[in-house]
This record gives sequence, C-alpha cells and structure tokens, in this order.
Amino acid sequence: MNRSHKIWTAWLVVVAITAMAVTHVAMAAAPNASPPGTDAIAPATPAPAGDATAAAEPTEPATDAQAPVAAPDTRALDEEIQSIKKDVVDLNRDLFVLEEELLFPANTQVAVFLSMDVGEFFALDTVELRVDDKQVTKYLYTPREAEALLKGGVQRLYLGNLRVGNHELVALFTGKGPNGQDYSRGAQLKFEKAVGAKYLELKISDRQRKRQPEFEIKDWE
Amino acid sequence: MVIAAVQNRCNSLFLLAAALLGTAWTAAAAEPAYRLLGKAAPDFALRATSGTNFRLSEYRGDVVAVTFWGSRCGTCGAQLSALSRMVDTYQSAGLAALAVNVDDDQAAAASFAVAHPVSFPMLLDPAKAVARQYRVDNLPLLLLIDRSGAIRYVHRNHRSGSDAQYLQQIRVLLDE
Repeated sequence: MNRSHKIWTAWLVVVAITAMAVTHVAMAAAPNASPPGTDAIAPATPAPAGDATAAAEPTEPATDAQAPVAAPDTRALDEEIQSIKKDVVDLNRDLFVLEEELLFPANTQVAVFLSMDVGEFFALDTVELRVDDKQVTKYLYTPREAEALLKGGVQRLYLGNLRVGNHELVALFTGKGPNGQDYSRGAQLKFEKAVGAKYLELKISDRQRKRQPEFEIKDWE
Repeated sequence: MVIAAVQNRCNSLFLLAAALLGTAWTAAAAEPAYRLLGKAAPDFALRATSGTNFRLSEYRGDVVAVTFWGSRCGTCGAQLSALSRMVDTYQSAGLAALAVNVDDDQAAAASFAVAHPVSFPMLLDPAKAVARQYRVDNLPLLLLIDRSGAIRYVHRNHRSGSDAQYLQQIRVLLDE
C-alpha cells in the first residue's frame, strides 16, 4: 500500500512537471500562440496620454455631483503628462547634441552638405563620397528626397572626423542627364583641415548656357 | 500482481512524459527566435526593377510588409501573390509592401517579377547588404512592421493557410 502510494505520488509529480515544461516551452516559442515558423511579439506601444486619461476616468457615467470633482484631477494629470513628455523630448535633444559633440569633436569635425538648384538637366540618383581615396558614404536618393532637394532642402550627407592637414574630397554623382540618359560626373576638392570644424558643400546646379548640369564643391569659410 | 501492473503503467507514463518533454525541447531549439523581433527595422534604400529607388523610412506611419524572396524559391510566388491581394485591399488603410530580391542574377529576378506581377515595388539587393542586415536565413522571409517602424511579426516560411495568419496580424497592426 505504501509503495503504491509512493508510485502514484511520483506519477503525479512527473505529470505536473511535464505540463509546466510544455506550457513554458510553448510560451517561449510563440508568445502570441503563433504556429511553428512564426515569431511574434505582443504590442509594445506605450499607451498615449489620452488613454491614460481615459483609464483614470470612471467606467460608469459620472453623476452630476461627481463630475465637477473629477474634472480638475484629470486636467492636472494631463498637464503633468504633457510636462513629462516635453522633458523627455528636451532630454533626447540634449543627448543627441552631446553624442555628436563626443563622437565628432569640433577640432576634428568635417561635415559635407548637398544642395541642388533647378535640376532641369540632371535627375539625381546616387552620390558617392571619397575622402583621401576612401569611400565614406554612398547615398541612394528616392524621388521624394530628390524633390525635397529641388525645393531648397540641404542634406547633411556626411559627418566625420579628419586630422589637421591636407585632404582630398571626391564626389561622384550619378543620375539621368539632359536627354534622360545615364549620366555620371565627378567633382574634386583639395582642402586644408585646420583646428576647428570644417564644412563643405556639394552644389548641383544647371548651367543654362551649355544646357548641362554643373557640379561643384564649395568650402564654407 | 496489481502492484506490478501499476508499476508498468507508471513506467509507460514516465516514458511518455520524457518523450513529450524531449519533443517540445527539440521543437523550441530547432527554430531560434528572430533576433530583430520587437526592434526597429533597419532603414535601407534599394532600386526597384522599375528603376525607381525606394527607402523604407519613407513608409513610417504605415504598416509595412517586407518580404525577402528569390527566383528559385518554390513558395515565394504564392506569398507575393497573397501579399499583392492584401495590399490591393488594405492600401487605403495604410498597408504597404516591399519585396526584396536576393538573387545574384538580376535578369532572373526581373523575369520572375514580370511573370508574377504585384502591386508593390520589387527591389533588387544583389550585393545582399540588406539581407545581411535583416539576418535572412530562409526564403521567403516575411516581416510585418508596425506604424512606429518596429518588427512585430516574422514568418520564416509560406504554407497553405499562411495567408489567413498574415491577414489576421496585418489587421491587428492596422487597428493600432
């Protein structure tokens, strides 16, 4: 009798462990009860301010006597949330500035900007930048980005560090030329990097007289 | 006699439990979790078979289905057709799709794209830079990206009945 009791107890323990293990493994493999071959995560979106406000409100309709009391609390909570949101945005901006200052100190910083004027004779596709014969960036432009440049936008194409001394910047532009054919041109600039940040601008403009695009690199003094 | 029978039954159950445990463990270990799940989808820009360039970040605010495919993949065509139907239906609700081809031979990709017309861009990634970024380990690989740009669902294969799962998950993301 005693032995039988022990066997049944052992059997129950094994069943319980099995059930727990299977449940744990199933939950680990598919948090949203997805089938094999499918991974998923639960929504991780934080509740917006409105939701928090709504959650704070009573689920049942408030009586006339309760309404004036509940309203000020909700407003205060909403203001507090907005204030915290603003602090987070400010903090994020400060961190971004600090990160840039640390990664690209002013005395070694080099930034290259791109601007485009008119664009009648050239449709931009890619720009490749080489500093001292080493490719530092290659950017593929979507029609929306090219349109933004044509509307007067200036893009910071590259931000990096260079030591003091003489350097060479080569920019290779590809796109569609005056007759809609593939068009590729380069521009080159030898510049001296002194102590302090260096800003260079790639400028694409139309040369109306020759009916050709013009590519130049300017040094922002 | 009775004790022996109970003991036998117990042994059988123990073996069954062990087998169950082993099977579950193997199933979990066989398919490792997708590392980018829940993280922000890395941005990329690629040229489409049409010649236009597309950038993922320009779809921020929409639910985006990104699928990686190859012309020699058997189930890729079926998945692309299913996605095309869904995009046709839910485009106005904010659903977009991008299909990234990982073939070395761009001509093969282009002819496959002609044979399987879809309503979204077919992008070319012959250098496989984007495929490496996204840790593509199987074709087709479908990622469902939410409106904030996070990868929320991953499908490493396409089977019969997968369409219904895609639809259900896309609806969840569109409703957020």
